[in-house]
Amino acid sequence: MKKAIIALITFLFSISNVYEIGRQPLDQVKIPIEKAIAVLKNPEYMGEEKKEMQRERIWEIVQEAFDFKLISIRAVARSWRNFDKKQKEEFVVQFTELLRNTYIDKLQGEFHDEEVLFLGQDMISEDKAVVKSKILRGNVEIPMDYSMHFHDNKWWIYDVNIEGVSLVKNYRNQFKSILAKESPDQLILRLKEKNEKHERDRTLTQEK
Amino acid sequence: MLSRQHMTIPIMLLFLAVLLCSFPRLTCAADQEIGDAYADILSDLEEETPAVRVADPLYYWNKGMYHVNDRLYFWLMKPVATGYKKVTPDPVRNSIKNFFSNLMAPVRFVNCILQGKSEKAGVELGRFMVNTTVGLGGFWSPADKEPSLRKVSGEDFGQTLAVYGVGNGFYLVWPVIGPSTLRDTAAMGFDNVIAPGPYLLSPMPYLDTEITSLSMWAVDKVNALSFRLGDYEALKGAAIEPYEAFRDAYIQNREKKIRE
Repeated sequence: MKKAIIALITFLFSISNVYEIGRQPLDQVKIPIEKAIAVLKNPEYMGEEKKEMQRERIWEIVQEAFDFKLISIRAVARSWRNFDKKQKEEFVVQFTELLRNTYIDKLQGEFHDEEVLFLGQDMISEDKAVVKSKILRGNVEIPMDYSMHFHDNKWWIYDVNIEGVSLVKNYRNQFKSILAKESPDQLILRLKEKNEKHERDRTLTQEK
Repeated sequence: MLSRQHMTIPIMLLFLAVLLCSFPRLTCAADQEIGDAYADILSDLEEETPAVRVADPLYYWNKGMYHVNDRLYFWLMKPVATGYKKVTPDPVRNSIKNFFSNLMAPVRFVNCILQGKSEKAGVELGRFMVNTTVGLGGFWSPADKEPSLRKVSGEDFGQTLAVYGVGNGFYLVWPVIGPSTLRDTAAMGFDNVIAPGPYLLSPMPYLDTEITSLSMWAVDKVNALSFRLGDYEALKGAAIEPYEAFRDAYIQNREKKIRE
């Protein structure tokens, strides 16, 4: 009886180990980034009319890796408590859209065979880790770190740090100075207007 | 002596614990509403070290200068650097970058020493010697091939002062030079005094040294910018409040350099 239980426990431990090895934080950044680079380099998407398809494909990959809800909450920080349920939802939608617009468009427009080197991962705690990487652009090196959080059985990116500048902290500072003077609704409206303007500009350049 | 019954209870508990650990989702499956599933994050944030804030008493001057520099970038710096990049082959741009980096090595070396970073000082000195001689005056960087002489993050006097405990003072934006702080501005003067480059290596000593050093500075800036075109636009485009975004980015980037 005792032996059977010990065997069962050992078995369960070994399963949970396998489970975790498959989900290292490094992989959760590396795999999607490499997938996205492959899409960016794929000659299939070369034509102007394929750009929209490429954008959608990259977006699918990005959503698997980034936790935009977590990014939103961390960027608003303490003021999050002053947002009501509807404002919270709307904020996440608009802020996600803003990040999607600025970063995917930049990638699509300006990706020039940069190389990404993954240097390793530091475990901060059981559910927090930092994945370190470097972007090589010619002989310029740009250090880029990803902060990871483990939840829902997966490691998710919740912050990106480029040359010491944390994306979340940078927005936190901006949102803080806006929310000192304006209401959550006004902030959401600003994001919305920025997104709408971006969308107009984007469709304009596509028609050209 | 424990009876068999007594033994089973701890084993059962252990079993349960293992089960719960393997399915972390079970413990919080009930949290569905937005925010609630993330409730612990907010309490997490409270503990997190706050982002470094900087005083900005000259806000109106700084914001004015930010706009001046912004126009300067789009109307002058960007077109010049773009044209320069087009006509200058990559190896030449890389050599110029190496040259200026090597020129500033003595400044970085002195600051390593002042901060007591002897290992880094050794690397800077080694790189300087190898690159100045084998690298023909610093235009090539053969030290990169030597693993023990791999490039280290550069030290300047602003960082030295920070290590000595001097705070930022306040945020200060200069025309052309861009974001700085009171401390970093004062420190620039010190670094310029020990910077030997433009004076010692001036190819035409009969020229006014100020003009020479100014033109060398301009070449350095344009060359450096030719590697980073698009970065300014990206940060600006991503921002809701660009002025605040650049101010924070400067402070965060300096904090990292001070830590290193």
